[in-house]
Amino acid sequence: MVALEDKRRINIIDTTLRNGEQTAGVVFSKQEKLRIAKMLDEIGVPEIEIGTPSLGELEREIITEIIKLKLNCRLFAYCEAEPKEIEYAAESGIENIIINISTSDIHIKKKYNKNRTWVINKLRESIRVAKRNKLNFIVSAEDATRTDLEFLLKIMHIAKKKGAYRFRIGDNVSAYDPFRTFLSINTILSMIDFPLEIYTKNDFGMATANGMAAIRAGASSIVVAINGLGDGTGNAALEEIVMALKYLENIDLGITTSKFREVAEYVAKASARAIPVWKAIVGTNVFAHESGIHADGVLKNPKNYEVFDPGEVGLTRQLVVGKHSGSHTILYKFKEFGIDLTDKEANEILTLARSMSVDLKRSLFDKELMYIYRDYEGKKKKREKEMKSDEEE
Amino acid sequence: MREIDLLTEFSRKAGSKLEPENIKIDDTTLRDGEQTAGVVFANDEKVHIAKMLDDIGVHQIETGIPAMGGDEKEAIRKIASLDLNCSILGWNRAVKSDIDASIECGVDSVAVSISSSDIHIEHKLRKSREWVLESMKSCVDYAKSFNLYVSVNAEDASRSDMEFLLQFARTARDAGADRLRYCDTLGILDPFDTFMKVKTIIDIIGIDIEMHTHNDFGMAIANAIAGIKAGATYVNTTINGLGERAGNATFEELVMALKYIEGVDLGFNTKLFRGLSEYVASASGRILPIWKPIVGGNLFVYECESKISAVMSDPKTYRLFSAGDVGLERNIIIGKYSGAKSITFKLSSLGYKVSEKEAMQLAEIVRDKSVSLKRSLFDSEIIDAYKSYKNESKKSNNLTGKNGGS
Repeated sequence: MVALEDKRRINIIDTTLRNGEQTAGVVFSKQEKLRIAKMLDEIGVPEIEIGTPSLGELEREIITEIIKLKLNCRLFAYCEAEPKEIEYAAESGIENIIINISTSDIHIKKKYNKNRTWVINKLRESIRVAKRNKLNFIVSAEDATRTDLEFLLKIMHIAKKKGAYRFRIGDNVSAYDPFRTFLSINTILSMIDFPLEIYTKNDFGMATANGMAAIRAGASSIVVAINGLGDGTGNAALEEIVMALKYLENIDLGITTSKFREVAEYVAKASARAIPVWKAIVGTNVFAHESGIHADGVLKNPKNYEVFDPGEVGLTRQLVVGKHSGSHTILYKFKEFGIDLTDKEANEILTLARSMSVDLKRSLFDKELMYIYRDYEGKKKKREKEMKSDEEE
Repeated sequence: MREIDLLTEFSRKAGSKLEPENIKIDDTTLRDGEQTAGVVFANDEKVHIAKMLDDIGVHQIETGIPAMGGDEKEAIRKIASLDLNCSILGWNRAVKSDIDASIECGVDSVAVSISSSDIHIEHKLRKSREWVLESMKSCVDYAKSFNLYVSVNAEDASRSDMEFLLQFARTARDAGADRLRYCDTLGILDPFDTFMKVKTIIDIIGIDIEMHTHNDFGMAIANAIAGIKAGATYVNTTINGLGERAGNATFEELVMALKYIEGVDLGFNTKLFRGLSEYVASASGRILPIWKPIVGGNLFVYECESKISAVMSDPKTYRLFSAGDVGLERNIIIGKYSGAKSITFKLSSLGYKVSEKEAMQLAEIVRDKSVSLKRSLFDSEIIDAYKSYKNESKKSNNLTGKNGGS
């Protein structure tokens, strides 16, 4: 594995409360927003986006209340490059904002119905208002990955000169694969010395991989959301990025990962979106083993099929009995129940369990295994009794 | 060479154009998909999924594990007898009796699977490297004597010592294996490592490579694509990304990423994707999350005001492909992030016309309603809000006797 040369400081900024809530159909209540902010702070996330002040009074009130929690993490509010939106942000009492503006020609034409000069003027105007209100700001280029490089650099130079905190590159339509992401970030960084943040989307299932590629190319910050919640197909998942940094890049952000499952569950409830059992890192199936080969491998040594211990993300290992199970799982399961089976018994019970699983079209509950065992024992006793009486006759 | 320069070189090399005839999909929904803890397909479902995959244009279907016998064997035999256009593959351990079971099912291809990593050899197989090579070689010889197409699967290849993996690949090639399946069994690779490793095998051994990736760190698709860019010619996928733990590379994501990001059209009938995904979701007893890439639907559901007008003017402003391409429809919903334009559009689609001023006021009303209900609104609720608003303004007009905004 090619590891990063020097342990750079990598930042993550969580947008569950902003882009996460912006997902069609998702609305958090005030209490939920406060709770999620606290949870993110507790597990050690350094920066969070907490809302969009221009949405209305209630949103600004929630932002103010989150500020009052005096969390350790740095808080950001989200604004489009519109002076009025920045005034709203200032009203809420926030100190840091994101100023977002589309930079691609397709967005400038079809979304704004304007030209590049208009974009530059809007940005300058917005920055002026931000500075007047003593706000720190990140400049975010929406649809940056479809933007003409020369124009993007022009925007970046303005942001840098005007004192932006860093610059966000938005891959809003998932236009890139990791290699193009790498080259693009690398090229930009060779032309301008400025901290870069990557914003990726999961339209083709590559949000995490693209985020990591940007980091490898020298970006210093990445936008994430719990469970990958977000507009459309969602953002890079917080839990995936943190674990990928730790286990694939050897960069430990010092986040309390053992709370991941708990936080994921809370956000799943609040957003009314169940965590699929197969969700990377926090899904319950990630540490569930059914197939004979895998279960046997894990029983011999978890490292055969697990990269990290389930406890590290707040999960537990499960051995599931079903169509693909092998006799080792049966032996192990019954040992857990306090019953020592012989190899012959385990094989016979395995046959019964497999056919029951095929019949039910699912894996079996522990109780069902016990029913199988009781029936099996009962038949065996009956057989023995018959044999005995045969002998007596 | 510095790491950054090395990666830049990889990325440049990875940029070369891909040709559709060099990329083949081997779908394993019926094997690794079903192997997922808790998932069992009925035989009828297996047959139906195989037919659907064939209709879409998949090149090869991994149908199951014949050595399991019973029902499993029957389903594989049935699929092999359908005379589909695609190749039919049976999965085997590197054990001759497994291959016999495959032959009895009438498959044209077999996978011979054995671990190549020391950790698996030592802790799972409890054997030696020599034993692994010998078992694999004798099984390839055996399968080849029946004229089968043979894929040798290097399980846990991504954690294998490269020297040994090369020896493994060479042994497979010399024994006449048709391809080597590179298994990132634990999903621990990133795209750059994948590119480097796969390229090394291809450059040195020159055997066809198939990518088998897992999504444990959310990189299954990116790694599969990295493998293709390094010269791999087959990809092992599953519908909905079904598969052990966090699942495999998702069939529909891979096909669409190849088409829209890499510019390679495999010529599949993508309009059938949503239907296929729904069927497999239901057969596997797993929900299809609405945010699922490609087929989830949420990609084409718009609530955010700033996006709606842009999408109305040109869908390409926010999406690289259209809903219809994958059997979905575009949908605009009303909620906390809605504004006047969304309301105007929505009401007009429901048969009601509003003025700009009315739309502004209604937007505020529906936003509040959405916040208090903690969800987006149903059409009937929007109509109800509109009617109440109209009544209210009529009443206040009557009271004041003035003309309100109509």
